Amino acid sequence: MSSEAQIRNYILENYLFTDDPSALDSADSFLDQGILDSTGILEVIYFLEDEFKIKVEDTEMIPENLDSVNNIITFIEKKRP
Amino acid sequence: MASSPVTLVDRFSAIVESSPAALAVVDNTHRASYQEIFELVGKVSHHLLESGLKKGDRVSLLVANSVEYIGIFYGIWAAGGVTVALNTQAKARDIINWVNHSGAKRLFVDQHNKELGAIAAGLGADIELIGVGEGASGNPPAAMVSWQAIIEGSASEPAINLVSSDLASIIYTSGTTGHPKGVTLSHGNLSANVASILAYLGLSGNDSILNVLPFYYSYGNSVLHTHLAVGGSLILENSLVYPHRVVEKIANQAVTGFSGVPSTFALLLGRVNLTDYDLSKLRYITQAGGPMAPALIDRLLTALPHIDLFVMYGQTEATARLTYLPPNKLKEKRGSIGIAIPDTVIQVRNKQGRIAKPQETGEICAAGENIMQGYWRDSEKTAQVLRDGRLYTGDLAHTDSDGYLYIDGRSSDMIKSGANRISPKEIEEVIQELDGILEVAVVGCPDEMLGEIIKAYVVPKKQNGLDKKQIQHHCKKNLAIYKIPRSIEFIDELPKTASGKVKKYLLQKKDGD
Repeated sequence: MSSEAQIRNYILENYLFTDDPSALDSADSFLDQGILDSTGILEVIYFLEDEFKIKVEDTEMIPENLDSVNNIITFIEKKRP
Repeated sequence: MASSPVTLVDRFSAIVESSPAALAVVDNTHRASYQEIFELVGKVSHHLLESGLKKGDRVSLLVANSVEYIGIFYGIWAAGGVTVALNTQAKARDIINWVNHSGAKRLFVDQHNKELGAIAAGLGADIELIGVGEGASGNPPAAMVSWQAIIEGSASEPAINLVSSDLASIIYTSGTTGHPKGVTLSHGNLSANVASILAYLGLSGNDSILNVLPFYYSYGNSVLHTHLAVGGSLILENSLVYPHRVVEKIANQAVTGFSGVPSTFALLLGRVNLTDYDLSKLRYITQAGGPMAPALIDRLLTALPHIDLFVMYGQTEATARLTYLPPNKLKEKRGSIGIAIPDTVIQVRNKQGRIAKPQETGEICAAGENIMQGYWRDSEKTAQVLRDGRLYTGDLAHTDSDGYLYIDGRSSDMIKSGANRISPKEIEEVIQELDGILEVAVVGCPDEMLGEIIKAYVVPKKQNGLDKKQIQHHCKKNLAIYKIPRSIEFIDELPKTASGKVKKYLLQKKDGD
């Protein structure tokens, strides 16, 4: 499964409670769309750290890295060796 | 303008006269002085008066913390109206329910609110919608009044004579269908509570706060009014999702104050190294919204040894604040919520209704000018909590021999999760709408970060095929994000008393084991 599919599935399953892929656009802002709140973002970070074997530094907790599926993909690609 | 500051509008007007250029509010797009806010207040007030608002008419607003929110809120008051500020995270069904219950004929609403279409359709043409902010996404309702027209229009000076007993605000604390609880606060209630808070916090026009609390809740509401009453500044940050951005703002804007609930501090301490930032200008922190673990208080004080930390307790029914623990008593009175704020009387009363002895657990009762007038259009619920001239809070506590209060529990089943106070009944009603549900009971379970998380115990009908995701999906569609149960457990039957009442304490205990 691609990274994008993994992340999308995780968000759909855990925050939109559906397996309908049309419920989430990869460019959707998690905050603006009311998909995640502050604890949701922390859970996403734990998921990324576990699943992609990366460490998300506190200073990397910014919307540019985490506020959409697309932003997360760009971020984890940068983080990977 | 009235000659003596009996209302917060008077206090605000006095600051505008004495310090018009002082910085009042900074939001994502504006820096507004007191004079600029005053002009906005005048324009909103002018629109309302022109459109026929009469003293005492309710006006609802569904607007995020912003310069506009403040202009609208004080504009409603200046025109003699009653503010009904609504939770911006709520779904259309709650909003429609609250607007209709309050009897408001006008709703100021952020044009970007995703529920706008459903709200407009549900409220119908009798309610005037005023679209706040720039350009709506999607298709805005055709009949919406333009914000641009209001801010480019004329202004009125506050001219309505308000007295202490006049109704100022309705704050909805829950949204159960048909029976929402709207706390009614008079101008006297609000002025009194602001004066008490100012007395113990020692706020002045030199203070500024980084505010993350929503103004539609009583805690954020009190932060807003205390600062505007003394000419202080509010720096608004509407999200805690990215905690180090919040701390960066505290440092960069050299603010003197910060207010939060326990989960705010758990999040900040968990994800940010506070000692990496210059927080030397930060003078004080306030904490309310549920008990904060003494260990978390210790960590906060270790990270910020120079600040005064005010542990506080209150209720919307008491406008906001009831007690505070003086910072110099934090160590000596570890775990205490302190003593009554100035001009408020707090008593612990036992089951017999008598004042409890030290160490004896009873219900916290309060009296003072800050106690609400009652629940809007609900004399029955009002009579349950306002008796013999005092408010029965539903919170259980004891005092020590010096009169300091310690919370022992709650007699109500409201769930406190993060900054939110949640009625389990609202969630139960929504889950019960699904086919395949026989019964449901919702409880709060302990959580290190949020205080409590929501858990639903569901008794399914036989052979229904319902799964947890379907229940959460239905909740997501119909409830604010923070009301979605994090955990769902299917059980065969709910534990009940002989009279059929669900024994929720057994469900909570089940989860705690």
